Amino acid sequence: MTLREQIKHVIDTEPVAVFIKGTPQMPACGNSLRALQALHKAGAPVSVVNVLPDPQIRQELSAISDWPTIPQVFVKGELIGGADITEELFASGELMRKLDEILGSDRDSSVKLVAV
Amino acid sequence: MATDVIRGLLERSFPDGTINVVDRTGTGDHFQVSVTSGSFNGLSLVEQHRLVNRALAEPLGNGSIHELRITTKGTA
Repeated sequence: MTLREQIKHVIDTEPVAVFIKGTPQMPACGNSLRALQALHKAGAPVSVVNVLPDPQIRQELSAISDWPTIPQVFVKGELIGGADITEELFASGELMRKLDEILGSDRDSSVKLVAV
Repeated sequence: MATDVIRGLLERSFPDGTINVVDRTGTGDHFQVSVTSGSFNGLSLVEQHRLVNRALAEPLGNGSIHELRITTKGTA
């Protein structure tokens, strides 16, 4: 698989895919942390990709998503936004509703790191 | 990069907009922008933010904006 296909695969197969700078244990950017925190509070299982190891990851991702900045949050293959929208959707309760609808209310809120 | 430059780019893309730009850190590279404009009416949040990102594509692309926080609102 090419890098672009690998990224697409993660977006399409992981229920909640989050592309951040750094790792869940050590986010390297305030916005990545904000997105992760909002998802955590909403009880989302997150599959995290660190874009820092290879600049190509970010380039390919932005080409796929038409979104220039990191983080990027995808739910069921659909871009829901960056940190600001994720926080906004959490605050309005919409994020929770979306997750309940897609994954059920007794979902596990695990965090896994995915490499591409 | 000065807040005036960011504001100018946003005004060009959102002539009807109520625009607020804050340099969050005082270092000219972390900005909070708020835009209220009729251009956002009927669009999803992702589409609204895309319009703002497009208006600021140049400074985002060349790294002069390191971090951007966006708040958008339609007028409808």
